[in-house]
Amino acid sequence: MTTLIIIIGCGLYLLLYFTYGRKIEKEVVKASDEIQAPSKRLFDGVDYVSARKEVLFGHHFASIAGAAPIIGPAVAMCWGWVPGLLWVWFGNAFIGAVHDYLSLMASVRYDGKSIQFVAADLMGKRTGRAFYWIVFFLLILVVAAFGSIVGGIYTKTPGVASAYVFKIGAALILGVLLYRTKLSFALSTVIGIIMLIIALFLGPIFPIAASYGAWMWVFFFYIVIASSIPVNVLLQPRDYLNSWLLYAGLVLGFVAAIFVFRGFEVPAFSSFSPIMMGGKPTPFWPAIPLVIACGSLSGFHALVASGTSSKQLDKETHGLFIGYGAMFTEGFLATMVIVSIAGFGLSALRNAGVDAATLNSENWGAMFTIASTKVNLSKANLFIQAYADMIGSSWLKFIPTLYVKILAGMWVSSFAMTTLDTTNRLARYCIAEMALPLKDSSEGLYKFLSNRWVASIIPAAIGLWLAASGNWLIIWGSFGAANQLIASIALMTGASYLAKRLKSTYVNIAVIPAWILWVTVTAALIWFIIVVQPGAIAAKPGPGWTVMVITVVMFLLNFVFIYDFVRTKSYKIS
Amino acid sequence: MAGPSTLDFLRRMIADMGATQRNKVAALTVAEVAELRNIFALLLLGAFVGLPSPPTFLAVELLPLMEKELQILNRRAQDSCDMLAEMCGMLGID
Amino acid sequence: MNILFFTGKGGVGKSTLAAATAWQLSQKSRVLIVSLDPAHNLGDIFGVSLKKKTSFSKRLALEEIDLKKRTKAYLKREIGVLNETYKYLQVLNLDNYFSVLQYSPGIEEYALLSGIEEVIESDNEYDYVIFDTPPTGLTLRFLALPRVTITWIERLIQIRRTILEKCHTIHRICGPMSDQETLLNFEEEDDRVLQRLIALGRKYRNLDAVLQGNACRIVTVFNPDQLSLREAERLILALKDLNLPLRLLVDNKITDANLPTAERVENQLRKITDASLTRVRLSDGLSGGRSSKLYEIQEDMTSWFPTGAS
Repeated sequence: MTTLIIIIGCGLYLLLYFTYGRKIEKEVVKASDEIQAPSKRLFDGVDYVSARKEVLFGHHFASIAGAAPIIGPAVAMCWGWVPGLLWVWFGNAFIGAVHDYLSLMASVRYDGKSIQFVAADLMGKRTGRAFYWIVFFLLILVVAAFGSIVGGIYTKTPGVASAYVFKIGAALILGVLLYRTKLSFALSTVIGIIMLIIALFLGPIFPIAASYGAWMWVFFFYIVIASSIPVNVLLQPRDYLNSWLLYAGLVLGFVAAIFVFRGFEVPAFSSFSPIMMGGKPTPFWPAIPLVIACGSLSGFHALVASGTSSKQLDKETHGLFIGYGAMFTEGFLATMVIVSIAGFGLSALRNAGVDAATLNSENWGAMFTIASTKVNLSKANLFIQAYADMIGSSWLKFIPTLYVKILAGMWVSSFAMTTLDTTNRLARYCIAEMALPLKDSSEGLYKFLSNRWVASIIPAAIGLWLAASGNWLIIWGSFGAANQLIASIALMTGASYLAKRLKSTYVNIAVIPAWILWVTVTAALIWFIIVVQPGAIAAKPGPGWTVMVITVVMFLLNFVFIYDFVRTKSYKIS
Repeated sequence: MAGPSTLDFLRRMIADMGATQRNKVAALTVAEVAELRNIFALLLLGAFVGLPSPPTFLAVELLPLMEKELQILNRRAQDSCDMLAEMCGMLGID
Repeated sequence: MNILFFTGKGGVGKSTLAAATAWQLSQKSRVLIVSLDPAHNLGDIFGVSLKKKTSFSKRLALEEIDLKKRTKAYLKREIGVLNETYKYLQVLNLDNYFSVLQYSPGIEEYALLSGIEEVIESDNEYDYVIFDTPPTGLTLRFLALPRVTITWIERLIQIRRTILEKCHTIHRICGPMSDQETLLNFEEEDDRVLQRLIALGRKYRNLDAVLQGNACRIVTVFNPDQLSLREAERLILALKDLNLPLRLLVDNKITDANLPTAERVENQLRKITDASLTRVRLSDGLSGGRSSKLYEIQEDMTSWFPTGAS
């Protein structure tokens, strides 16, 4: 079954790429090599430099791939494996990848300006400025979500924590080798990989056992320090090592998934509204975009595509491969995650002590989330275990399971951790932009907010406080909401571009998904605010109200966008 | 027996991966260099816009040699209000 | 070569004393006296027109530096170079932009300094070069210029070196595969900006050394009155700040009537400096009509300065 799904998924993506994708490229966007891409026309040797499409693909994919395509599908298992998979396949092809591609191409046609700029141009300045706010909320929530995930991984498998510490050491050393010595790049890489492998081995030998709360404090200081030091010291070499972890994880995962020939033990479909967020029944629609973001549809990708990738596109016709293709690849990764959990997740839970009475195909919807959380084998941990078991059942079983687990744990936690300090850097910028209106009216407050340390501590503190005390699923849900809100604007912008600039007759390939997405996000937010939040607030008022405030603000902004969308008549050809 | 085209393909793929990795390792440094050049140009030319800066004659002496810096200065002056997406792209969050 | 700067408030008799000193010294040494004061009166004192450097006697040469002309010439040259380099870059509307340069702060001081530099370069022609300086403000600014410039140059060099270092790193990592234009020089020898900065730094350090050195003497002239005292105090303190050697104070236009004031003023000044102090009487020659030589005074100025070639 695993093999079958992988092959079907691969085939489906390829089919849709060459039919639907090509259609969009040819008929809608009308990408042509006659029009010079900004990388050529505005070449400046700095940002506007054309890159070969394979290299750009690698860069773009690395920027959008992270920990989220792993966590989302793991959580979505409570609906059974089919619903999530359908979203990952079809939501991706008809909404997510379209969104990525249109963001990229609109940006390309706008001289490489960002989607924020395009949105401001087509739908109004208000919408453009709102980006800072939503991105800021997104940043806080992602710190909360990922901080919690990593805390969960470290408390479940302390070996991963120490492996990560050793990896930091390796990154620092690698940084010196790469940037300060005359060692060749290839040699430094080899040394780096060797150090990484050593870290994997040393991890289980010197496990760091600490409480979840203690880890939150450690992360706080880590974020503030890591985001203040030069990028060459830690960030760049660390991200470089991460890319090798990603390749290793992907290769092992696919090889195992294809050749393991395992049937699925997780039910295909449990119920439409299983118990999930905040302990409440969570309807598949409209909640699925909030649960599975990256891997299917993610607003953040629009920023990446229009931020750097559009300036480096060599030819317009490469856009499909980069924008559409990279999203499909991420979808493929999510497929692999679903397959591994569907095939091995239940056994993993059984091994952890969840007996058949507690969890079976009948009560899957009601009990999955609760049971898995109880044994600390939910979300990332579930994937790690299932992944390790999957590798262990294939012909790759010669690799000791312990180290596969450490590898998988490192893979997820590395990408999650790197998010923690990069978001901090970005948040400083957002705060400064958001505080701008205060400059004239309340200079003291403005100065306070734009102070480097204050702007650094605020998102880290709020994020980790939420992680420490909040209900994780609620945080994940609101993170998904923020992300999809950005996707909503981006898709509306793409539709607006088609309608107003290209005056394309196929404008509906974007307008319809845009409406669907907007309605979904709105419905999800309403459901979230009315059904889920009261329980969370009752349980823990502090974090509960914080998330509530954030969600309500986003909800209101949501109406601003649709108002601007309709006002500028962006949905039809003018 | 792998034909020349397969070998070529593999070679290309490895070269591309190598290129991607090299770019990855240097990407932020390239961005840093651009910004430093921008700063350098701003410092030198600051006198003309009222910023504290070196004696103007330094600017005049060095200006003919700073073509690249002026290009970047110009580009940054245009783009400085649109940096959010670019920075998101450089520091992938996901 | 010895260098003398005659400084002081306008009207205290700076130029006259400078001229007198020059004349007296020229009896035994080769002397060049240069007026930097835009309100030139060197020519008037010697009774000649100084459109260019003129020999007054076998051992005395006179020069008036036309600041405005120098500034114009400098700017014209530089604008020419800029126009040439950037004619294909549509960065700025060059003509308008560069015409603003003439008003920019610092060009005047720079022109002044470059004039002084030129004179000092012509090393072995003279035993003494005497500078009659412009009003205090401008004088202090151009005396501070080398120091200020050096500091800025050092900062800029630092940034430039950081840029080159990072370029070098990038080249090492990405070099082998860049088929695109290598936009980066990363060797110090190749970066013309850095080379120019280093050369400028060297030049200004030399100039700074000369100004602070033993061969340089600053003379401050003042009158026996309160206003003059204030200005002299400011000047002395500023020179201390700049670490420039004030060697002689001259109390000029002494009469019997203002002797007490003179003493009071001199005591005030002695509190803030150790420099030697001398008095010069109000010259009767001023009222002596056209034929009187304004550059002749009774007091012997040469006793304060080593005579003969140094």
